[in-house]
Parts: sequence; structure tokens; C-alpha cells
Amino acid sequence: MTDRSLFLGIDLGTTNSAAAVFDGTQVHLVRTAQGTTLTPSVIRIDARGKMMVGAKARRMLDGDPDNTRGEFKRLMGTGKELEFPAAKLRLKPEALSAEVLKSLRADVEEQFGFAPARAVISVPALFELPQASATSEAARLAGFERVELIQEPIASALSAGWTTENAAGTWMVYDFGGGTFDASLLETRDGLLRVIGHDGDNFLGGRDFDQTLVDHVLREVSKAQGGSFLRADPALTAGLRKLKLAVEDAKIELTRATSTSVVVPNLTLGSEVVDVDVTLTSDDVNRLCLPLVDRSVAVCLRLLATHGLEPAQVSRMVLVGGPTVMPLLRSRLKEVLGVSFSDGLDPMTIVAQGAALYAASANLDARPAAKQEERGRRVWLQYPAMTSDLSPHVVGRLVEEEGAKPASISFVRDDGWKSAEAQLTPEGTFVLAVDVVPKKPNVFRLVGKGADGTAVALKPSQFTIVQGLTLSDPPLSRTIGVALANDIVRIYFERGAPLPTKRTFRHETVETIIKGQADSLLRIPIVQGEFETAHLCRLVGSLVIRGDQVKQTLPANTAVELTLELDRGGRLSARAMVMSTGQVFEEVAQLLVPDATPESLESGLQIIRNRLAGLRTAAFRHGLTRQIEKLGSVEQGLGEIEQDIAAARGGDSDAAQKAKRALVDIDAALEQLEAESKFPELEETAMNAVATASSLVTQFGNPQEQRLLDEAIAGVEKARKARQVLELQRRLRQVRQLATAAYYKDPEVWRYEFDRAASEVHQSRDLPKAEKLVTEGRAALDRDDMAALQRVTRSLWKLMPPDAQDRQLGFDSGVS
Amino acid sequence: MKPQPLAIKIAENPFYVLGLPSTCTRQEVEREGQKWLSMLALSLKEAAFYVTPLGEQQRTPELVRQAMADLRDPQKRLVHELLATLPAQVIEVENTPLDAPRDRWASALSVLGLGPPRKPAGPR
Repeated sequence: MTDRSLFLGIDLGTTNSAAAVFDGTQVHLVRTAQGTTLTPSVIRIDARGKMMVGAKARRMLDGDPDNTRGEFKRLMGTGKELEFPAAKLRLKPEALSAEVLKSLRADVEEQFGFAPARAVISVPALFELPQASATSEAARLAGFERVELIQEPIASALSAGWTTENAAGTWMVYDFGGGTFDASLLETRDGLLRVIGHDGDNFLGGRDFDQTLVDHVLREVSKAQGGSFLRADPALTAGLRKLKLAVEDAKIELTRATSTSVVVPNLTLGSEVVDVDVTLTSDDVNRLCLPLVDRSVAVCLRLLATHGLEPAQVSRMVLVGGPTVMPLLRSRLKEVLGVSFSDGLDPMTIVAQGAALYAASANLDARPAAKQEERGRRVWLQYPAMTSDLSPHVVGRLVEEEGAKPASISFVRDDGWKSAEAQLTPEGTFVLAVDVVPKKPNVFRLVGKGADGTAVALKPSQFTIVQGLTLSDPPLSRTIGVALANDIVRIYFERGAPLPTKRTFRHETVETIIKGQADSLLRIPIVQGEFETAHLCRLVGSLVIRGDQVKQTLPANTAVELTLELDRGGRLSARAMVMSTGQVFEEVAQLLVPDATPESLESGLQIIRNRLAGLRTAAFRHGLTRQIEKLGSVEQGLGEIEQDIAAARGGDSDAAQKAKRALVDIDAALEQLEAESKFPELEETAMNAVATASSLVTQFGNPQEQRLLDEAIAGVEKARKARQVLELQRRLRQVRQLATAAYYKDPEVWRYEFDRAASEVHQSRDLPKAEKLVTEGRAALDRDDMAALQRVTRSLWKLMPPDAQDRQLGFDSGVS
Repeated sequence: MKPQPLAIKIAENPFYVLGLPSTCTRQEVEREGQKWLSMLALSLKEAAFYVTPLGEQQRTPELVRQAMADLRDPQKRLVHELLATLPAQVIEVENTPLDAPRDRWASALSVLGLGPPRKPAGPR
């Protein structure tokens, strides 16, 4: 085994996977036993339980489709088990991914002589928490001691930034994977690689091209043979797999030719055997696939618009993934975005290469810990393992233990350069700057000296800093928060927050949790999304505390301190502490992509249709042409959802998830359209708010608040004139915030608030307690004790129940 | 995104968190940020607090990471530069009680006689 650090990066793809190893100077691709750099993400298990992984298994997709599975990455985190009938086995997607990882691990061992213990694995940027969590679980099952996750576009950009000279500027990474599409904007300046932002579609991938083409071929076969073959029909599953392989081959053929044939003799489609011989032209492919390509282009344009950039400001585009070799895709990107592509990068392995570089920056040496331990006094070191800085700091602390203690520490670089000598503080700590040589690994030896100048051995005896790019902390792709009982989201981490991160907030329970009763639950739903309203976000997990877990009955309003923590790869851990008992609940968040049954999808679709009809009627009545157009495009999306629900009925779990997500997205789009249709009301509300705020801030505000209000009012005017709903809502919130801040400076405020709270006392969750508080409040009023009145009023607020409908919408949250 | 109270913006101003002047270079942001993160990881007491016009604040790895991220973004940096030059005066924008019911706006309106009458409803 080599004595140099080696860093392993893995691209665990939907269709293919790849691995690369970075040795501090160069990135080496890991080869399979067949000599290729790609391992198909396909598993076959035969009747004896023998497992095949990769290229061999892929070949069996044709011959033994029932016992061969691919594309399981799209089901990661759903809990959906996949069946291998011959072996009578049912395995979760993470268990199958683990087999692919094991295969790659074995290839690394074969090529580099050691079984890697640590690695970086790439995941799509828009993977949700349960999907990321399932990926980590797969790595654990594959035998890795530790893994970090990296978002695929960051890996691609890191690889492109490492290999390209003069890489300064704004980049777009266009990553069309087998199952997901990601677009990312990045910037390289002064050696720092920064992610500006990203967007994507978790359910748009190369597979959708294949399915579109399969649907086309099925239509042609139906026409020619007089039957009616639909992808949604579960009886066709085995035959469809064969057909799909033939279509994939034809698609590849059409990147070089203008016409080809999809030929599958004696194909069993349900109860019929048909001879498939359908001519497919590049024009057919272009016509059928253009809507999918345009969906990806729309994501790119949306991403640019979000960050106030024009396509012309993108200096280059990095193409990643198999589908990006399609001539249609490249020409469409050039036509609409006018960007130039980064040359010389392998779209199939760029992600794995970037992941390996990232492993270096995270100091994640893949080699197992050495059995022969070094001798000497132990020092904890902290330093940037990879940096663009030519003079980074190294910080250290001596470990408290017996033995010789150095009084000073210095570093000697492998070419003889010496650092200053740092005197250790009484706590045994030191901070030293080192000089590093550009674009290479710099190995530093630790030199310890005792008070009398004698040498003191230290361990580790050396460390390495690679000079190259500094990678900014990966940003969180979607806002994460907790749904409250009033259907509002308490945001814990904003989109773009640098990872890792951690936050603690205090909540209060809204109902009693009875000790010993398992069905008495405290549910804290965790959601991801950009909306303030919880039900428009996506439920990604729930932290549940049952009555049979608590030490004592917890009355309503019990304080619960919740800590959410995200690591660099976006993996979530949660910890809840009941303040009154000190009882702690660790890792109780069950992260699972919610189940999507065809029935629930149907009913969701019907609700959307009803809303759409209502909006359309209103739009026609008021002659809102733009609104009618937008509703039309929303309606078009419903057709696709219908198809997915039909496929879900046929057993396609992936299509079910896709439909579920699309319904949530359309729900949010309709919310936006409803807000737009009520623009005149919003305008009126805003104008009233401005008048109120002006009056309150004039009476109670200070000059700074008055200035802020003037700015906010100017913003309201601008948004009103431009008819920007979201901006007007945002400005309205600012105005209200300033006004309410001023309102609470009114010396009489607690009188008003107490009066109001007292008038609602009949709704209280604890009437005797509330009535007692009202009596106390009246006494406080009589003696003009505003501090007591404030305390009483706040206690009364806490006794008010959440609205039942809000709570249901807020995923039955048990906290406020 | 909810607007942050100005007092918090000042207390968590990235320049104070990183102990850097508002004229610092990008490279200095990276170097100092990395140094503070390393020192915090090893619990060096010199890294535990930072000075602001509002008094000493506790430095955490989350604050340092956020500070580095904000100063890498030119637009955000500009805002922080402006705030870092403000005098040490606290602007009390957010003195609204955090536990107030959601419709405190309705209360504000009704006090002025401008809004709808107070609703005898729950916290919505």
C-alpha cells in the first residue's frame, strides 16, 4: 500500500457508476475487471441467490428481466423494496446501491492494493434529505467506515476547475443524469470556487428520453398490429424492458445516423407475441425529445434569472452525463443560451473525478488506518487539506497524556523550507502560518523541541496540504424547517446556508402527551421547500415522540428544544430535549420520501382540477388573458401527471413519486396564480398597510425606523407598478414588521392586547387557568402594572388552540 | 426569507465575526475564516468570542461559515460593509414579541381604526 494519501471519489449514478482516485497530483480513473471506467448500476440475482453487478448484470436485462434491476437510484429513500422472484428476495434500493459500491470498492482494491475505508460519493444537487440519508446507508452497507456526500454539480465544477487553466469566470454545469437533471451556476475567482446557486428537476433524466421513445414505438406497434399496448400495463413489464434496450441502442445509433430501425422479433407483450420493426429517424427523436430538452433549458433560464444573470454572462458550460452527447441537446442549448461548451472533459467520469478532488479537500484519506502506530506525543492538527491560499494557517493542540512535552513546534516542508517556531501556550495550543508551493501536494514534517532544546517526537509526524482550489462550503439546496401547528414553517436553515450547520429553536407542544400511551404522539414534521406555508413544502421526515417514551405526562405548552444538524453532505440529524424533564430524544427523525399511492394521487389530481376550473372561470370573467395562458400551461402538465399515475397503477413506483412531486409543484403554482388574480386586493392591502405603518412609525418609531419605512414604501410602489406579486408581498411584510414594531412601543399596547386575549378566553385549551389569568390581568390593570399585564397576556396567548384545519395542513404538527 | 432584525445583523456582521476590516481582501476572508474554524475545532479559547459595537459575542463554526459565505457574495458583502460602518447605536426595529399571535397586524390596524374590527378568533 502506498505511503501517500489517496482520495476516493464515487459517482453513484442512476444508469452507470464510476470511481476515481486522486493522489495529490493526478486523478486516476478506477477500471473494472473488464477494463472499462463505467460500472452499469444494474444488479441481477439468480435462483441460487448469486448476485451479478455491473456489465454482466446489464447483459441479463434482456435475458432475465424479472431478476435484473437497474435505475434503483431513483427510488432511494422511498423504502420501496424491489423484488427478485427467482431468489425470493426483496431488497431496498439502498441495499442494491450498496452492491454497486462494493463492486467499485473491489475494483479500487484490485488497482491500488487496499480496500478503501473512506470516500466521497456524489448525489444530485436537489436530492432531498431521505435520498441523501439512503445514500449514506448504502455506503455503510458496502463497508465504508466514513463517507461524505458531494453535490454532483460541485464535483463537476471542481474537476473542470482543476483541469482547466485560466478558469476564472461564471460557469454553468448542465448535468443530465440518467434520472435527474441539475443546473448549477458557479464562479471561480482568485482560486476560490463558489457555488452561486442551483436548480434542477429531480425527475427529469435520460430515462425520460427512453420512455418517450418507447411510448412512440408502442404506438407504432399498436397501429401496425391492431392492438393497444400501453406502458402502464403491468403485464407488459418484462417485454418493455427488452424493448427499452432496443430503443436505447437505436438512440445511440441516431447520434451518428439519420435513420435506424428498432427491431425486436418475437417480443412478448402481455398475452401477445409481436414482431417489432419500427423505423426511427433523427427527426422523430428530435420532435419527441424536444419538450424534455426544453424543460431542462427552462430550468437553466430560471436559474440565471434568479441570480440576475443573462446567458451571455456565462463564460462556459460544462456538460455532464450520457444524454449530453445528443446532437439535439447541444444544438438547442447553443440556440437558446448561446453558450460555449468546456472541451476535453469526459462527461461520463467528470463527477467521480471531482468527488476524488473533494475528498482531498475534506482530508478524507481512503486508506485504512495504519496498523503500525507512530510513536511520540500526540498532537491534534487542523489545517486546510486543499487550499488556494499560499500561506494557510495550521492550528494544533497537544493531547493531554503522559510523556515528554514540547515547548515549541515548527514545520519543515519536504523541500527544506522551514516555518517559524511557535511557542506552545500553557494550554498546549499553537497557530502557525505555512508557505505552500503552488499546484502540488506539500508535505510538512513536525519538529518538536523541549524547553531545553532536545527533540520531542510528535505524532502525526507529518501532514500534507495540496495547493489548488479552495472550495467554498457546499450550500444547502432547499430551505429546511419545521412545520408548525398553524401551517407555518419555522425555518431552521435557509437555502444557500453553508454546510455543515446546526441550529436550535425552542418550541411548545400544542396538546398533552400522556405518559404510557403509545398512541399519544408528539409529531414534529420536517419540511423542505421555499414557502412560508407548510403544506406547500415537501414533508421529508418526522420526529415523533410517543407517550410510552416520556418520563412523565407532558401538558400542552411544554417547552421542547429541537436541534437540527446538517453535515457537509446535507445529512440531517435531530435531537429533541423536553426542557421540564431534561429527557433527550436523539436521532428520532424518520427520513422517508412519503408514500404515493395511486388513489391518493388521483384524489390530489382531482382537487387540483377543481381549483384550476375555479381559477379559469374567474380569469375568463375578468378577462385576464395572461392568467388564462398560464393556467393553460399548468393544465398541460396535468396530462403528464395522469400518465404517471397510470404508470404508478402499473407498479412503477418512480412514476408515482414523480406524480406526487408534480402535484406539489402545481399546487404551489396555483397558489401563485391565485395570488396574481387577487392583485387588486393585494394592492389595496398594501396601500392600507403603508398608511397604517406611516401613522404608527410617526407616532412611536425612531428616525432610523422612519428611514427604513421610507425605503420599504418605495419598494412597495415599485413592485405595485411592475405588478410583481412576490415582491409586493415581501415589501408588505417589511412594512408590517416596521409597523408592528412601532405598535408594540405604544405605552397602551398591553391594555389592547389583554382586552383582546380576554375576549377570546372561551376558546382556551385550559379554561380554569385562562380565567384565573384574566382575573390576574384585571387586577394588574387596576393597579396599572404593565409588566404584570404583559406577562398575563403572553400566558393567555399560549393557551389559545391552533386552528384544526391549519394543523392538518401543517402535517399534524404538534408544536408551535 | 424573513428579514433579520438589524441588531442581529450588526451582532453577526461577518467582518466582526472574522475580526477583519471591511476593506479586507477575499483571500484574507478565506485565510482568517479557515483559521477561526481550525481554532474552534480545537477549542482554542482565543477564538471563543469576538468584539462588536453591541458587546462581545460568542463565535461559533456556523457563524464563521456563514460569514465566509456572505463575504464571498459581492452583493451581500456590500450590505455588510455598510452595516459595519454604522455607529454603535442599536436600531430597535424588532421589538415585537416573538410569541405574539399571528394577527398582531390586525391589532395594530384596529388600534388606529383603519383595519377590520378585531376578530374573536384564534391565533390566525
